[in-house]
Amino acid sequence: MMFIKAIPKSVYACLLLPALVLLVGAMESVDGHAVDLAQVLSGSTSAHWLGTDVLGRDVLDRLAEGIGLSFSVALSVMSLCAVVGITVGMIAAWAGGWVDSLLMRFVDIVLSFPGILLAIALAAVLGPGVDKLIIALAAVGWVGFARLTRAQVLSLRHAPYIEAAIASGQNTIHIATKHLLPNIAAPLLIEASFGLAAVMIGEAGLSFLGIGIQPPDASLGTMIKEGSQLMLVAPMQVVYPGLMLFLLVMSANLAGDALRDYLDVRSKR
Amino acid sequence: MLARLIFFRILESLPTILGVVTLVFFLLHLVPGDPVDALLGETAMAADKEALRKSMHLDEPLYAQYINYISGLTQGDWGKSIISQRDIWTLITERLPATAKLAATSLLLAILLALPLGMIAARFQNKPQDKLAMTFSLLGVSIPNFWLGPMLMLVFSVFLGWLPVSGMDASGSIILPTIAMGTALAAVLSRMARASWLDSMQSDAIRTARAMGVPETTLWWKHSARMTAIPVVTMFALQMGAVLGGAVITETVFDWPGLGLLTIEAIQRRDYPLVQGCVLIIALFYVLANLLADLLNLWLDPRQRAQ
Repeated sequence: MMFIKAIPKSVYACLLLPALVLLVGAMESVDGHAVDLAQVLSGSTSAHWLGTDVLGRDVLDRLAEGIGLSFSVALSVMSLCAVVGITVGMIAAWAGGWVDSLLMRFVDIVLSFPGILLAIALAAVLGPGVDKLIIALAAVGWVGFARLTRAQVLSLRHAPYIEAAIASGQNTIHIATKHLLPNIAAPLLIEASFGLAAVMIGEAGLSFLGIGIQPPDASLGTMIKEGSQLMLVAPMQVVYPGLMLFLLVMSANLAGDALRDYLDVRSKR
Repeated sequence: MLARLIFFRILESLPTILGVVTLVFFLLHLVPGDPVDALLGETAMAADKEALRKSMHLDEPLYAQYINYISGLTQGDWGKSIISQRDIWTLITERLPATAKLAATSLLLAILLALPLGMIAARFQNKPQDKLAMTFSLLGVSIPNFWLGPMLMLVFSVFLGWLPVSGMDASGSIILPTIAMGTALAAVLSRMARASWLDSMQSDAIRTARAMGVPETTLWWKHSARMTAIPVVTMFALQMGAVLGGAVITETVFDWPGLGLLTIEAIQRRDYPLVQGCVLIIALFYVLANLLADLLNLWLDPRQRAQ
């Protein structure tokens, strides 16, 4: 876990505000789903620090829920992408021949779509629901891991320590998990960090379009959508959720950049 | 020689196109339960359901539907919209010019921003100018365009009143969507330009030219610029495809009546055949953009031709 040291202070600085919102949101006794029509678009008050939305719901609490949801969806999608992508990539590289050709041809076809378009189309036909949203986003994201894993495994396939492991009769799964995976972890970690940023934008984007997280659940994307319809009366409603999303995405991008500089000697200048 | 290479490269992209068409065909079959129920609602009359099932060929076996779909596409029959009953190909071609216009202005803005930024960043590597340019790039990739759009509207339309909020009819209405879409493209492109410029300046060819006394300005503008062009042009061609994917969101934000908005309208009305048509045309453009990137590479890079 040495690479934790490589993460610059700017990442923590970006995470400060979302973390604060999460903390205050958790400590508050207000329920972000509680509709209060007497308090519609109230502005900042002592009871509602960031005001209320068009249904009188507490904005701070909904922001906290949105951040939590954004993070949990992004982590679920990335875990799913990593498991599927790494498995497919390893099988393709290890098996070679027609298995490799078949799998990589499929990867090429998925990559023939602009990522967000395929996710939109899948989310639209699969219908609403967090589980379907995760599937739609993961269906697009795993290919990056698969390609990267395949390339990395191919470059290590004939390394002396791998050949030694094969010669000593270790089984393939043992070689894959104990010898290959730790040695290809660095580029995968960088991919995951940038992937996290892309998935957070993807989730919010689909929710913004109305095909991701559904009301009454709060997503930063749906909050931006609702806020953008209220710009004339309550401009801050669109500023808050967007700012939170931007900070989360930026922190993941910064972490990815830092990890790449730290782990990949080639890009050091 | 080059013509033969180009011919084979085009031939190579045919299986990819078939793959894309196949994936789009199966999209409709991913709808949970019965697609006809999803389209008409479960309470619809049985006769209506049957009629729709027949008109969409859903009563036929899967392989027959697939063959029908492909043979229809090759004959220019993209099917009919369920809601408006109009030809899908006509609906797409009506909306295409608006998207093309927005894509062209966004790509132009991206190039105009990215090339100078990338060059300045590379020329003043690790100096404040570099840091500033790369901060712009980081902001560009981190600000989601469905937030940048409303923020631009808030500042330039609501507070300052300079530009129209949305739509396509008022003069100047293209400016805000262009900025929203172009800056993200510029961010990616400027990083690429910086990295390739630095790579080329560290290459053996430049070192040799420098040792032979070629002035630094000539090195930058003549020798290095040509080497930098290869990855940058490739990236640009790839972005031409990506911009159509991004248009789905940007057009929704600004109510821009292009292909992206048509896709979202079709999704909201559950007009799945139209969704299929829109996704297919955007994906086909994307494949063509990839092909163009490859061909440009072949043209620009003699090493690739030799391979």
